[in-house]
Amino acid sequence: MTTARSSWRSKRAVALTLILVLAGAVAISAHRRDEYLQAARIAIDPDRVEIALDLTPGISVAADVLARIDRDGDTFVSPDEARAYARELQRVVALDVDGAPLRLELVDDTFPPVEAVRNGEGAMRVNLAAPLPPLAAGVHHLRYRNSHRSDIGVYLANALVPANDRVEVTAQRRDADQRELIIDYVLRPPRTHPRVQLSAGVALMSMLGVWRRRRRMESR
Amino acid sequence: MTWVRTSIVLIAVLVLTVWVSGGPQRGGTAAAARKLSPADATASIVAATRALTSALDEGARSKVQFPFEGPQKARWSNLPSGIFQRQGLRMGDLTPAQRAAVMNLLQTTLSPDGFRKVTEIMRGDEVLRTTGGGAPGGRGGGRGRGGPGSGGLIFGEDEYYLAFVGTPSTTSPWMLQFGGHHLAINLTLWGSEASMTPSLPAAQPASYTFEGKEIRPLGKENDKAFALINALDAAAQRQAILSSRVADLVLGPGQDGRVIQPEGIRATALSSAQQTMLLDIVREWAGIMTDSFAEPRMAEIRGNLPETYFAWSGSTTNGSAAYFRIQGPTLVIEYAPQQGSVDHIHTIYRDPTNDYGAKLLAK
Repeated sequence: MTTARSSWRSKRAVALTLILVLAGAVAISAHRRDEYLQAARIAIDPDRVEIALDLTPGISVAADVLARIDRDGDTFVSPDEARAYARELQRVVALDVDGAPLRLELVDDTFPPVEAVRNGEGAMRVNLAAPLPPLAAGVHHLRYRNSHRSDIGVYLANALVPANDRVEVTAQRRDADQRELIIDYVLRPPRTHPRVQLSAGVALMSMLGVWRRRRRMESR
Repeated sequence: MTWVRTSIVLIAVLVLTVWVSGGPQRGGTAAAARKLSPADATASIVAATRALTSALDEGARSKVQFPFEGPQKARWSNLPSGIFQRQGLRMGDLTPAQRAAVMNLLQTTLSPDGFRKVTEIMRGDEVLRTTGGGAPGGRGGGRGRGGPGSGGLIFGEDEYYLAFVGTPSTTSPWMLQFGGHHLAINLTLWGSEASMTPSLPAAQPASYTFEGKEIRPLGKENDKAFALINALDAAAQRQAILSSRVADLVLGPGQDGRVIQPEGIRATALSSAQQTMLLDIVREWAGIMTDSFAEPRMAEIRGNLPETYFAWSGSTTNGSAAYFRIQGPTLVIEYAPQQGSVDHIHTIYRDPTNDYGAKLLAK
């Protein structure tokens, strides 16, 4: 009962906010207005790519963006509606390595308070990831492309410094509006563990010793 | 009686600070702090916190104090009240004497130029409030119709908050947090060491008139960066200027722990004079904290200069909205005009190795 009442109250508050925002000729400063900022930060590991996508609609386009998320039009974004929107992003973001398409998985999503989104300051977060196929050591190219809401979208796309020292980013190439980013990187071969190297060295030295002893005995 | 006690405490702090610095100097306590060793600067800041807390009642004291381990450290934003709820001591809830004690603490903590920047950013928000910038529908005294927590944006000098994360101490780690709309100062102190990252100085309006003078809180940052990009020859500009538009901060609030791949021209490709210009831009952020801490920080950044990059996006004509980034092993600075407006600037200052004093705490 309490939960139902508080849910109703929160829905009423959201609806009231919507009315207030739409009723006035809104002149709020300090906030993104008619753009939909979509910022991607991309982490490359030897066997996996992760994309953190932050989505912030400006105040003038927030209602339009929210209308697409709030499918039942109750001015409240349910977890299912947020998840459905995240899946839309998952479908529209394209990723390939050396020209071979990668299959993106939805890792998780978080949705801010609706009023923050309406004020042009709420960032939705969608985390995506894709396993990489086994790649040979050497130079590779990862291409990311986001064409979601290109009518109002502004984009940021950046490679993170790789956490794994087998991966080194050598260049980032973007189109003018950062919808597309190609990350050139070098994949180094896996390092052999020092203990394995030591064992191999000892074995080699032992074999050499045996061989020399045999030769010495044969020469006698 | 309370004001008498507060006045006595404030006078005592002033006398103590002057005594520690060795005599009266023009510019007050901040100028005095400039001469202090880092350990003495911390002692001076701690004394100023004690002066403030002794002027507060029990309720206010509990509002300002947070445990060192907890969510408060990362609870900062560029957003105004109404859509981001800060915790701590709200300036608008203080008496004039208590407010003066907060400003004295800031003056002791920051360099004279850092203090100027902070007060000009706050005053800019007051301009936003009085010109109706914060009120949906126009002028309305600055309080949005919905009020706090329900979508109404609240601007003005009253909407800045102070917090101590951990107990102010000369020997244990703690953090001084001061922020509001377009401002986040996060200063971690541990004895003679300090880290003022992540911090976010921003401005809207970026230019306004106060007492007949034009005020530009981040004007020097802008002008020095344009001077540097125009000091580069065409080949160097080609290396520095990114081919794409950068619409916002890449490592703004909520991006703790992330390190992006550096881009632009490497400082080793700059002339000695240009390197000096680059460091002079960096000082606009590193020099917000008192010189006692800014000097070792600048020395560290100078030492990393061979691994430091300068990137630019946008026109090179001063007066245009252009983004720039300075990035080194222990430094990220971004300057991002919002939606192509030169009158609305966001910046961020980070040390990926030492945000919230992580490096100090790991020692």
